[in-house]
This record gives sequence, C-alpha cells and structure tokens, in this order.
Amino acid sequence: MELAAFTLIALIALGSALGLILKRNAIHGALFLVVNLGSVAALYLTLGAEFLAAAQVIVYAGAIMVLFVFAIMVLIPGKEETGPDPRRPLRWVALPAGALLLAQVLVILVGTRGPTPVGSPAPGGVEAIGRLLFTDYLFPFELTSVLLLAAMVGVLLLARRRT
Amino acid sequence: MSPVVPPPAVALGVLLPVLVVLAAAAVVLVLDVLPPRDSKAHLGGVALAGIIGALLAIVMRWGTDARAFRDMVLLDTYALYFDLVICYAAALIVMFSMDYLGRTGSESGEYYSLLLFSTAGMMLMASAGDLIVVFLALELMSLSLYVLAGFFKQRLTSGEASMKYFLLGAFASSFLLYGIALIYGATGSTNLDRIAAAAATRNAEPMVLIGLAMMLVGFGFKISSVPFHMWAPDVYEGAPTSVTAFIATGSKAAAFAAMIRVLVVALRGAQPDWSALLWALAALTMTVGNVVALAQSNLKRLLAYSSIAHVGYMLMGLVAGGGPGPGAVLFYLLAYTFTTVGAFGAIALCARAGEEAVEVSDYAGLARRHPVLAATLALFFLSLIGIPPLAGFVAKFYLFGAAVRAGYIWLTVIAVLNSAVAAYYYLRVIVYMYMREPDGEPVAVAPSLAGGLALTLAVAGIVILGLMPAPFADLAQVAVAPLLR
Amino acid sequence: MSTVWLIPAFPLAGALTNIFFGRSTGHRAHWIAVPALGASFLFACAVAARVWSGAPFTTTLGAWIVAGDFETGITAYVDNLSAVMLLVVTGVGFLIHLYSVGYMHGDPGYARFFAYLNLFVFSMTMLVLAGNFLLLYVFWEAVGLCSYLLIGFWYTRDSAANAGKKAFIVNRVGDFGFGLGVMWLWTELGTLDYAAVFKGAATLSPATATGIALLLFMGACGKSAQLPLHTWLPDAMEGPTPVSALIHAATMVTAGVYMVARSHALFERSGSALEVVAWVGTATAVFAATIGLVQTDIKRVLAYSTISQLGYMFAAVGVGAYVAGIFHLVTHAFFKALLFLGAGSVIHGLHGEQDLRKMGGLASKMPITATTMWIGGLGLAGAPLLAGFFSKDEILGAALGTEHLGIFTLLLAGAFMTAFYTFRLLFLAFSGAPRMPRDVLQQAHESPWVMTGPLLMLSVLTVVAGFALGLPLDGSRFAHLLASVFHPHEGEHASVVVLLSLVVFGAGGLLAFYMYRQSAVKPEAIGQPRTWVHALLLNAWYVDWIYDRLIVQPIYVLSVALAQVFDVGVIDGIVNGLGRAVSAWGAGLRRLQTGYVVNYALTMLAGAVVVVAFFLAR
Repeated sequence: MELAAFTLIALIALGSALGLILKRNAIHGALFLVVNLGSVAALYLTLGAEFLAAAQVIVYAGAIMVLFVFAIMVLIPGKEETGPDPRRPLRWVALPAGALLLAQVLVILVGTRGPTPVGSPAPGGVEAIGRLLFTDYLFPFELTSVLLLAAMVGVLLLARRRT
Repeated sequence: MSPVVPPPAVALGVLLPVLVVLAAAAVVLVLDVLPPRDSKAHLGGVALAGIIGALLAIVMRWGTDARAFRDMVLLDTYALYFDLVICYAAALIVMFSMDYLGRTGSESGEYYSLLLFSTAGMMLMASAGDLIVVFLALELMSLSLYVLAGFFKQRLTSGEASMKYFLLGAFASSFLLYGIALIYGATGSTNLDRIAAAAATRNAEPMVLIGLAMMLVGFGFKISSVPFHMWAPDVYEGAPTSVTAFIATGSKAAAFAAMIRVLVVALRGAQPDWSALLWALAALTMTVGNVVALAQSNLKRLLAYSSIAHVGYMLMGLVAGGGPGPGAVLFYLLAYTFTTVGAFGAIALCARAGEEAVEVSDYAGLARRHPVLAATLALFFLSLIGIPPLAGFVAKFYLFGAAVRAGYIWLTVIAVLNSAVAAYYYLRVIVYMYMREPDGEPVAVAPSLAGGLALTLAVAGIVILGLMPAPFADLAQVAVAPLLR
Repeated sequence: MSTVWLIPAFPLAGALTNIFFGRSTGHRAHWIAVPALGASFLFACAVAARVWSGAPFTTTLGAWIVAGDFETGITAYVDNLSAVMLLVVTGVGFLIHLYSVGYMHGDPGYARFFAYLNLFVFSMTMLVLAGNFLLLYVFWEAVGLCSYLLIGFWYTRDSAANAGKKAFIVNRVGDFGFGLGVMWLWTELGTLDYAAVFKGAATLSPATATGIALLLFMGACGKSAQLPLHTWLPDAMEGPTPVSALIHAATMVTAGVYMVARSHALFERSGSALEVVAWVGTATAVFAATIGLVQTDIKRVLAYSTISQLGYMFAAVGVGAYVAGIFHLVTHAFFKALLFLGAGSVIHGLHGEQDLRKMGGLASKMPITATTMWIGGLGLAGAPLLAGFFSKDEILGAALGTEHLGIFTLLLAGAFMTAFYTFRLLFLAFSGAPRMPRDVLQQAHESPWVMTGPLLMLSVLTVVAGFALGLPLDGSRFAHLLASVFHPHEGEHASVVVLLSLVVFGAGGLLAFYMYRQSAVKPEAIGQPRTWVHALLLNAWYVDWIYDRLIVQPIYVLSVALAQVFDVGVIDGIVNGLGRAVSAWGAGLRRLQTGYVVNYALTMLAGAVVVVAFFLAR
C-alpha cells in the first residue's frame, strides 16, 4: 500500500516536472510547477512530516506560485522567445549526458546501503521543528534571514528605475 | 507540558567580524533613504569604515580557536586568515568603486550594502564548520554578486552577465546541494568533523565519493576551474569592473576556503581520490586558461582566462596536500588577491571617451600619458607573470616547491611550462602600454583620492610580499594548522 | 652590514632618483647616474683588494624566504671570481655610462635611459654577488627585464618593440629550464646556498647531476645566446648602441658563462654535462662566425661576433679551462665594448647610418674612432700581443691539452673566420673611397670627447690586459689570481697553438685585405646572395624562419582553435552580428534563449559526468 502510494505520487511529481520543462507556454509551466510542489508535499506527508507538508502547500504552492503566475502574466511579452537557434541540435546531447549521470548515480546508490539513521527518526511535528530551529539549527535559520534580506535588496536594485 | 527548550548557545563573539560587516550593511541601507538624496558618495565611506572595523576585529581575535552554534561556526586562524584576505580585497574594491561609480554618478546604497552582504557571505564560508552553513553562506555571497554583476542596468552586457551568472550559478548550486545531501545520506551528518569520523568507520565509501564529486562540481564552478569555467569570461567582461574584481578575488578566495576545509577536514579519508582528480583538473585548468588567454584582445576577458590559469596553479597546492601544500595555496591566494584587485582596479580607473577601456589596444601609449598608472599596471602584470621580486614570483615559488617536494614533478613541469607561455600575453599588454602609439582618442584617467590610495595599497602589497614574504608565509602556515589536527 | 652592499646600492639609488624625479633631472640625469657608477666602481676596487689579500667571505643582508626547514637569505658571496666580475661590470659600465652622455644627448628619454642603465648595473652586480641559486635566479630574471626595457627603449619603432619582446620570450624558454634546475637542486639537497650545494654536489648521482646541470645550462643558453636560443641577440641590436655594448657584449650575456664557471663543481660531478657545454659552445662559435661573414649591418656583424665569442667561452669552461673562459670573458668585455662603442661613434657621426655598404673612407674624418676601432678589431681578431690573442690562445691550448681535437679544429676554423669578418668590417668602414651620399659625408664628424675618451680608455685596456694578465704563458697571473676558485688547470702551453693561431689570423686578414681593400668594393654586389650557401648565411641559416613555422605558428593556430572551441563568446559575437537587425531587447533575450547559457550548462553537465566516472573507475 505504502509502496503503491509512493510510486503514484512520485510518478505525478516526475511527470509534472517534465511538463514544467517541456511546456513552451510559461503559464502552463507554472501550473505544472504547482502540481509538482503539491506532490512533493504529499511525499512529505507519507514520511510523517506534516508540518513540512503544510508549509510546502501554503508557502510554495500557495503564496509563491500566485506571485509567480502574476509576475509572468504582467511581464512576459507575447511569443518573442521563439527565435531560431543555430546550435539547437547540440541540446540533444544533454539527454544522453543527463541519462549517463543518472545511471552513474544509480549504480552507486543501488549498491550502497545507507547508514542506519542517527538520532530521533524524522521529527515531523511543528514542535520538533521549532525546537530544532531554535537550538541545533539556530544559526542557519538566522543566516537564512540575512540571505533573504540580501535578496530583497537585490530585487529592489534590479527593479527600481528600470528605464 | 513539554520541557522548556534549553536556551541555544549563542556566542556572538565568534561572529564578531561578520557582524561588524553586516551592521555596516544595515547602516548603509538606512542612510540610503536619509538625506542627502542626490549624492551617495558618503555611503562608500561608511562601507569602508565597516570593513576597516571588521579588519580590526579580525586582528583583535587573531589566535583564537573558538567554535559556536553547535560547531557550525568556527573562528580559528584559518578562518581569520581568509577573513583578512577577503576584507582587504573588499576594502580596496570599495575604494575603487567610490572612484569608478562616482565618476558616472551611479553610486547607490544598494550597491555598497550588497557588496557588504557578499563580503559577509565570503567570511562565513571560511568559518563554516557545517555543510549547511557552507551552502547558505555561499548563496549569500553568490546572490549578492549575481545582482551586482547586473548593476549597470542601462548596459546590455551587464544584464546579460548577471543573468548568465545567475542561471549557471543556480545550476552549480544544485550540484553542490545534491552532493551535500548524498554525504548526509552516507554519513548521517552535515558537520565536518562528524562526517570525517563517520566516513572513517562506516563502509559507505562509494556514496561519499559521489557526494564529493557533486560538491566538487559546485566548488569548481565558484573557483572557475575547467570545465566549469565558461561563465567566467562572459561575466568578467559584462560586470562592472569593480564587481569583476570582487568576483575574481573574494569569491574565489571564499570558495577555496570552504573547499579546502571540506576536503582536508571532512573528506581526508578520500584524499587519494580527490587528489588524483584535482591533479587532472589542475593541469587542464592551467593549460586551457593560458592557451585561450593568448587569443584574447579584450583585457577583461584576458584577465578572466588568466585568473582561470591561476586557479590551476592553486589546485596544485591541494594536490600536493600535507601542511605545505594548502599553506602555499593560502599564500598564493594572498598574492593573487593583491595583484588581481590591483589590476582590475587600475583598469577601472581607465576610461575611454566615457566608456570603459577594455580592449588591449586602448592601452596603447598609456606610458606616455600616465607613466605612474602604466607603471603600476605593468607591475601587476609582471607579478602575474611571476617576475621576481614581486609577490607572484614568491607565491609560485612556494607553490611549485610544495608540489615538487610532494613528488608531483610532472605537474610542476606542466605548471612551469604554462607560466612561460603566460608571459606572452601579459607582456603584450605591457608592450602596448609602453611601445605603441594610440591610434584614436587617448585613454583619459582621473583617479580620485580613494582610487589612488587603493592603487598605492595594492602596489605596496605586491612589493612587500615579494621582498619580505617570510612573515606572511609563516602566517599562512599557522593558518592551515587548525585543519591538520 | 658589509660595504659590499654599497656596490649595488649606488646604481639602485641612481636609478630610483632618475625614475621618480626624471622630469626634473631631465637632460642632467647623467650627473646622478655617472657618479653613482663611479662610486660603485671605487667600492668594487676596495672589495677586490680586500678579497685578493684575504679570503672569500659571505655576508647576509637579512633572511628572505623562510618556509619550514628551507631558509634563504639575501646573501652575498665574494671571492676572487666575483671580484673580477664586479670590476668588469662596474668598470666597463662606468665607461659606457660616460659614453652615453654624448651618445644619448638630446634624446627625449634621456633620464629614463640612465635610470634603466643604472637599474641594469644594480641587477647585474647583485647577480654576481648572489650567494645562493635563488637570489641568482631572481637577478637573472631582473637583468633580463632591464635588457628588455633597453632593447625596446626606442619603442616608437615597431622593430625595437618586437625585438624587446623576442628577447624576453626566448629568454623565458631558457629560464624555464633554469627554474626547473634550481627546484630540482633544492629537492635533492634541501639548500640553495653555494657553499652547501657545491659541497653536496659530490653526493648527487651522476645522472641527477647531469640533469640539473643541463637544465641550468639551458638558462645559460638563453641568457648567453647559445644555440639554439641565440636568435634574440641579433635583433637586440635595435637598442641604443651603448646598451648593445654594455648588456649585449660585455656583461649580461656573459652571465651564463659566469654561472657555469661558478657551478663547476656541479658540472664536473656530471662530466657529460661539461661535454655538452663544450660542444654547444663550439658549435655556436662556428655557426655564428659563418653568419658574421656576410652581414652588412655594422652592429649585426658585431652581434654575431659576440655570439661566436661567447661560444668560445663556453667551449673553454666545457673542456674544464675555467680560467681561460673567464679570461676571455674579461678581454672580450674590453675589446667588444670598444668595438660597439666605436660602431656607435661611426653611426653617430653618420647620423644613424648602420649599413657597411654606405660607409668607407672614414679614417680621415674620424681619426680617433678609426684608430681605437682598429685596436679593438685587432684584439678581437687575435693579433699578437693584444688581449684577445692571449685569451683565445689559452682556450685553444686547453682544447688541445684535454685532447678535444674536434673542438680544437673547429675553434681554429672559427678563429680564421673571426679574423676575416673583423678585417672586412674595418676595411669596409674606414678604408677605400667613401660610399655615402655627399651631404652625409660632408657632415660626418668626429664624436665629442665624452665619447672618444671611453674609446681611448678601452683601447688602452685592450692593449694592456693581455700583457698584464696573460703572462707568463705557463700559469698566467690571471690563473694565479683565480687559483683559489678553480683548482689549477694542468697543461703546458703548446707553442704549436701560438703558431697555428698566428697562421689563421694572418690568413683571415689577408683574405679580407684581398677582397675588400685590394680590389674595388662594389657595394651593390655585397649583400646580394650569389650562391645558395651565401643565401643560407645571409638568412642566418633560416633559424628564425624555422622557429616561426615549427613553433610560433602552430601555437598560434592551436590557441585560436581552442579559443573557438572553448570560448563560445567568439562565436557568440558572430551570431550577435547576424542578429543585429533585431531590437536590442530581442537580441539580449536571444543570446540567453538561443542556447549559449544552455551550452555552458551542458559543458558543466558533461564535466560532472566525467568527474563521477573518474571516481567510479577508481
């Protein structure tokens, strides 16, 4: 039962990721991204990480995607992106190269048994995460806030007085 | 009720140099919205003051060996050494920026605050004792630099540089993150010491190795090692020259700092493996960098390929390993930073008909009109060639010596051969400056006080390093000691 | 602190003064540069007197590079050999500085010239004083840099700029070997100090010693313009003539000989390396002499002659006759500097004319120059009782004495050619009917005393040095002087050598007399290749051409090709040019979207695959 659920959700996640890459229309792509984020949230749920799943749905699939779609609708002008690419065939090299990398990783990972998990297994609750964030991971948490501040300043700089 | 959460261990003293820089960034942001609105020249001064404060803090803290936040942040001599290099570069670049941006009146609070943010990110990379911090600090640095590369919004190349840097940087970051995840999966920890301990006991070798491979791709991008270097020429060319200088020095130094610590501390068990790989990367990087540089006519692209070649030399030190190898890399980074910041700074001071002078031919006859500037630029190039008694020579001497002593004769031969080839393209610029007449409008230069001071500091750096390298080499050796425990 | 350091300190101070205050010193720059050299010479005399009456000594200015167990100081090692070199460098250097006052008069770069010249003397004296290989290497590079600056001194001439660059790059090839040699030495012995190295040389295996010695010799080949790295020296004649005299005849180019002689313990340990040195020297001596036979530019004749004479010096040290090699170095410094300065005086008098075909009959117009140049020429050709006679004889005698018959024969043939091209030059320049345009002839004049004074001084030295140092023939005073440095060279002075060298001197002179004095000179016939041998020599055996096709062109092609493969930016530019019709925004978008970023990412992906595969394979 668990395996079937995982397989189904994983397939949806992969399919939507492919759709995101392959769709020319940016809006369609964004919608595929919503599906993808949602299915990853479902994966979190099967692992027992309820809070993470909820945060994923609310923050990413919800708030951020709304902004995303909004930005695309406002900014992207028509179909200008489709110009002739003289070196388009080269792109097909990416496929075998990526497949090769995947194969290499699989060869190693299949042959390796992961270590037994250390510490408490998968703390999924709000309380556990909160505890971790303010003890073990206090510094990364704070650092992330600095990172976001820098990003904000950067956006201000790039968006302001665009002429 | 659940038990009270134990209060987290907060030791801000360990973060002091970084906090000073971040505080300066905040002050710059606040002052930006206060009057005077029409002139932002004073913000550079504030940023400079912040960096000098950080330098003071570094000197104050010298010799400590502290760790905090559950070993996520380390403040040992290794971190402090890199802090010193990074802050020195940042200080010079702020001074050059005051001149460079001031001339076009495009100074802004965001520019200086982002510069400070990325400086803080770089410093944290050197202090990181945990892969999570490595990643976050790297992102803090990179994000700021992505934006800074696109600072000249009215110039298409600048925006293009920013976009390319961002897209490829994100691509590289994903490799790094995947590598971190794999190593976490194999060892159950992201802490460097615990990874080392786990890797030693557990039989998870292949998974650690593939994680290592992925991380090397990420780091390889940041230090612009072949074949992850292709962004560098485009970004160096398009970005504002002052930002280019920072990308070429600060971000490289920081990436080396994190990479050396991760390799030498966490993955010391895999030393034979990564050392063999880096051998090939070093040889490839220096050769491609130098040979392609021969064909460049744009000075910024030329320096981009030259900096790629220098990365190849530095990787040699990592290959050599032990104490002397990384020590030589640290010294080389110091010499390289002095020289490269100076060279880019001098280029930033040259403007041609309002545009930047970036073609080699733009420098024809510079020696006639601005003998001092031409002489300093020539000094930087001579140091890059490795002509004694400048910093570049001594740095190469230590580095090649370390490689030879570790038995890597062939790699050294390749490196020496490469540095002979390199003489050609550096010399070409000097020939243009000293032995050609300009064919168009002359290069106009009007260095301000800040620019002149920065240039003087950079020249003093390479001359002092070249004439009295011993104390600095000792410093570099002391700095690597914490890694080798 | 020892007074030894004052010898380089004076020229350094002079150089810095003229560099920083060149604007205000201007045409008075020599008031700083010349006294600086004079003082330096006086101190060199004092140091030489001290060493000759006492023992060699070492003095350290301070620690320089300290890394772990490796420690190197700024150390001077002074013995009789360095004292001789110091006297030559500062003494001849002083005369040439004096001469430059007249020669460079009115040049816009007057102060710059003296600054570089002082800087060179500083570097050269430091090179001679250096007490370890690292310091030697540093100043080895420094003299190269000064040479580069001075060759390209008249940088507005394209040829001068290119010649400077060529000299620098060819020297880098040699220095590449030299640097490797020094590093190898360090890994073997753990030290670079002369005393320790020469003591430790005995512990090296002969194969290692050979390797190190040959790498060091590669550096010497570059600096001293020996085959196959000789090509830069003829081009270096683009520099002002005093520079050619000082750097490319008397001092810097002899640094290679000095280095080999200084490291003789290392070369002797190897044995076969010495043999290589001897043969390279001999081959160069003959090779360059053949080219000198047909040159038409007065300075180029002298340049090839210098290469050839340097070959003699290497042949001498190669067969183990270090004293003879250094002796020839000293006498050569006198008469070749004299010849160059004389040539400069001629060029000066003829307002820049360097072509022998447009000279002739100058003896009456410039009597002092002509006389002194004849003395210098006779010295070079090996006329009896002049300096070159003694030193060349010692070399020939040593080659015979050590049973290097092949080398002896070739050097003898070289001596014949030397006599021929020297007399050819002298006849073409000073005898016969004037061949220059009438107005040039009328304006031709003797040079001022600041230029002729040094000429007279040098000709006195050329006349006297042989007697003073070269006698008695068995165990000369010079050999006695250097006995503490080189173990005395056994071997009798064969009178057959004296006889043979007299014969070739006479034969060469007579042939030149017959061809250029007795029969009428047809300027239009000179310099026109009549046979393929003549063409071969005129083009210097096509060595430059071969290097260009074999090395320069392929590297250039490779570089361009690599740039196109790796640097997509080039192609980017072409594509961008095609798409220029589209609006700027569109073009910007296109560059991003038509694949270039994608291609960069693709390269990274491929790189990642290779990296992972690398680890998988292990």
